[in-house]
Amino acid sequence: MTQSLTPTEHVILNMGPQHPSTHGVLRLQLELEGEVVVGCRPIIGYLHRGIEKMAEARTYPQVLPYTDRLDYLSSSSNNMAYVQAVEKLLGVEAPERAQYLRVISLELNRIASHLVFVATFANDLAATTVFLYGIREREMIMDLFEMWAGARLTQSWIRIGGVAQDIPDGFVDQAREFCRLLPKRLEEYDRILTGNRIFRARTEGVGILPPDLGLDYGASGPTLRGSGVAFDIRRSEPYEAYPALDFEIATQPTCDCLGRYLVRMEEMRQSVRIIEQCLDRLPEGEVTAKVGRTIRPPAGEAYGRVESPRGEFGCYVVSDGSPQPVRVRFRAPSFFHLGVLPQMVQGWKVGDVVAILGSIDIVLGEVDR
Amino acid sequence: MIEDLQNQFAEAIQSAEQVGRELRLRVSAPRVPDIARFCKEHGFTYLADITAVDTGTELRVVYRLVNLENGQHLVISVPAARTGGRLPSLCRVFQGAEWPEREVYDLFGVRFDGHPDLRRILLTDDWEGHPLLKTSKT
Repeated sequence: MTQSLTPTEHVILNMGPQHPSTHGVLRLQLELEGEVVVGCRPIIGYLHRGIEKMAEARTYPQVLPYTDRLDYLSSSSNNMAYVQAVEKLLGVEAPERAQYLRVISLELNRIASHLVFVATFANDLAATTVFLYGIREREMIMDLFEMWAGARLTQSWIRIGGVAQDIPDGFVDQAREFCRLLPKRLEEYDRILTGNRIFRARTEGVGILPPDLGLDYGASGPTLRGSGVAFDIRRSEPYEAYPALDFEIATQPTCDCLGRYLVRMEEMRQSVRIIEQCLDRLPEGEVTAKVGRTIRPPAGEAYGRVESPRGEFGCYVVSDGSPQPVRVRFRAPSFFHLGVLPQMVQGWKVGDVVAILGSIDIVLGEVDR
Repeated sequence: MIEDLQNQFAEAIQSAEQVGRELRLRVSAPRVPDIARFCKEHGFTYLADITAVDTGTELRVVYRLVNLENGQHLVISVPAARTGGRLPSLCRVFQGAEWPEREVYDLFGVRFDGHPDLRRILLTDDWEGHPLLKTSKT
């Protein structure tokens, strides 16, 4: 074996846990050869609150607000996964109107989350203007959430059996106005960001995730669809009003950061389509089924599964027939995406790590739980 | 495929029950990686989750595999001892088993033989005990 004449030592670089581009308290321990990443160890748990343990000492309705604090950029998908599991155990179905309202909530939340993605992803790549645009549009959704839930992030509006209350006067008009405006704003984003040469150079061909590797690691959502796999739970296991709604699953074959970005851009347009259909067809009637004051699901287990903005958000609930769950497990997509990150950053430079991490759009609240 | 699975691993499968789109199996520990590999080769390419449940009377590790072609779920429960429980790791079948197995070890204390890097993941390295066991008080 020949030895290199100028041996280089690997440098360990800690990125985070306080670092603006890690989007929360994440530490990446990078092993570098010069500027090139040869190893990456994500270190998580800084935001661990023991939510799954706490859930075992709460009644079924009491667990719901904790779910808001998992993926806090999309609390309604967390609410939905938990509620879906409990409703499966109870054998209860929400009234039709509630099912449509839930879809409106889920899709508005998807847009809100993707807007934060576009905003922060662009910001990480030094396109600061887009950050302000994304947050501006998201504010309109926050106003809508405030109208129906009284909260902007931690909604807990989807309840066991239905939704907390019917939509207030003026909601439909305001939601329609948003649906009219957003596609125009997305065109603006395309003009300022999607075609930008620097943005393309930072994202095109960067951070390749082959589809097989993604599946092996339990990747889902835009992260997997950006690798050409048309897996979307809204289509494969439709819940609520989704079977009646017309939309397309966005995919990109490129497996890179740009592909994952383009998938989310298209998903926002599809979400607008879905919301408009729901507003057109919104049936009259009750918004909650009768579930009783004390919820005691029969002994058994159920898995709620929704397509959150990040991918498969699952909730596995085990009941022994008492008013408190035996086990509540939250299957968070970001946890699995962080697991595959070391493979994606291998061989790229430190600056690219920022782009690749941004492109999988993690939320540490659901990673650490 | 399900019949093949039950024939080939008859001695390891203790029970099988179809509930909706879920096939729920109870399996003894040693054959878990073989069963997982067999399922992966027969369409269950997506490892959705690995977790555990402590009911107070029994601790079991639960695997969820999904067939993306037909939407079938395979839910495999494997009993484990509450102290010193050991299971074979799935990492050689699904690379992505690494993190969820670390989490099961961290929160339930079950060890996975053949795991490349079995460390705590959510709690700090010097944490004592495994909080999601029912014996661990809130």
